[in-house]
Amino acid sequence: MVNLFKRMRKLKTILDIRTGTGAAIFPNPTSATKEFPPVTRLHLTYARKIYNGHQGARHFWRNCLPRLKYHNPGVRMTVQQTDDQTAPPALTIYFAERLSSTASAIVGTKKITDKHAPAAESGEKTAVVDLKDLNYKEIWSRVQASTGAEEVPASAEDEAERKRLEAITAKAGKDRERISTMRQAKKDQERMLAEARGEVEKMKEL
Amino acid sequence: MSSYGTVLPTAARGILSSCRPSLREKSIAPAFSVFQQVRGAKSNPQARGKGKKETKTDKKGPREFRQKSLKDMEQFALCDAMRYLRAVEVGREVTTSKYEVHIRLRTRRDGPVIRNMIRFPHAVQTESRICVICPPGSKQAKDALAAGAVLVGEDEVFEAVKAGKIEFDRCLAHPDSLPALNKAALGRILGPRGLMPSVKTGTVVDDVASRVEMLRGGTVYRERDAVIRLPIGQLGFSPEQLRDNLRTTIDQIKKDASGLNDRVNKEIYEVVLSSTHGPGFSLNGEFKTDNSPETSALTGL
Repeated sequence: MVNLFKRMRKLKTILDIRTGTGAAIFPNPTSATKEFPPVTRLHLTYARKIYNGHQGARHFWRNCLPRLKYHNPGVRMTVQQTDDQTAPPALTIYFAERLSSTASAIVGTKKITDKHAPAAESGEKTAVVDLKDLNYKEIWSRVQASTGAEEVPASAEDEAERKRLEAITAKAGKDRERISTMRQAKKDQERMLAEARGEVEKMKEL
Repeated sequence: MSSYGTVLPTAARGILSSCRPSLREKSIAPAFSVFQQVRGAKSNPQARGKGKKETKTDKKGPREFRQKSLKDMEQFALCDAMRYLRAVEVGREVTTSKYEVHIRLRTRRDGPVIRNMIRFPHAVQTESRICVICPPGSKQAKDALAAGAVLVGEDEVFEAVKAGKIEFDRCLAHPDSLPALNKAALGRILGPRGLMPSVKTGTVVDDVASRVEMLRGGTVYRERDAVIRLPIGQLGFSPEQLRDNLRTTIDQIKKDASGLNDRVNKEIYEVVLSSTHGPGFSLNGEFKTDNSPETSALTGL
């Protein structure tokens, strides 16, 4: 099994799941207001390659979706990766009963449809957001604006932890540099000695 | 070249230098000397032998697998670990992502290992296709088919395999058809896939039908370097389902460990829950904490 300390270090990455862009709670049936109805599902569709503006959608999946899933474990989230580079990447948000008041403004006038998204169940209303050429932070701000998701601020311990990890990373960079100069110096020394020895041999042969 | 190098300086240098232009000889000489020097330094037989002996004595490590203290390891309740793993696996295909469990044992480096098969209360594999090699038309063939084997027969199976059509995940054989199987020389094809039936792995059995039944819901596991790893659930499982599977696994492993040998002492040291793409979460044995979400929220996609 992997070394215990390596595993412990790796496990620190769950800090990135708890905090960061997209760490927010969607309105659920108890916290929903008239303006922002509860979110029941999310579906993301994007193409395999990044050209035609599919990069941000994938980054959104990589960065934001795990955080959203962590803070909203009950909200189902699906992702479909396609080979169709021409279709725009799309995020379908499923609202219970009605759309939120801001959703239509975010979706805009250019309506797109996502044929990979699962059909809305009875009582669900969907808003399809076009993600083409948006980076994942822009996508997140749109999602947040349209759903009224409430950001979860990082706790004091998490902040301290992040600072500690950052300090470790910075120290690692410095150490790496220090060790590489030491190794290089040793190598240079050896090469110089070998060259000198070669010179002596040459002299002897002559 | 090397034999020339050793012979040349003593015997033939004089001749060489006399019959070749001096310019050429100058360029060759240092090359020879450097070559010889390096060779001497590296391949001194005495020095080499000494080094080897030393490493050999050093290599004798501890008798037991060293298991570090879990004092500093952060441990999780099952529901909390599931919450993180489900977050990591978000958007993955449900059929490919699975929960895995790694059970670390405190055990000696030598001696017998745990090796068995388990049947979970909630099946992990959705469907495992089983092929049974036995004389067609026999009672076993009928029983195997009734038990759910996909492919039953002798020659037709061999033909299909030779043609490259392997449409099964497990392969069993009846002892009666073992000679035919060996004659067909399928080891080349089935061996690397781990499908070749053999007595050692327990895939050559008399009672084919019951084995097929066991295999359909069963998972094979074995201990490697003091760890038993096995898939334990689909991503859509509820925490209760996963708990049931986990409990069954641990109970059976404990039973295996106690049934091995009186002198062999194996005990479970750590249980780690992981998933196909996720990190490993050391479990503390509790089901849920106050902060964990409802179990219904941790079910499904």
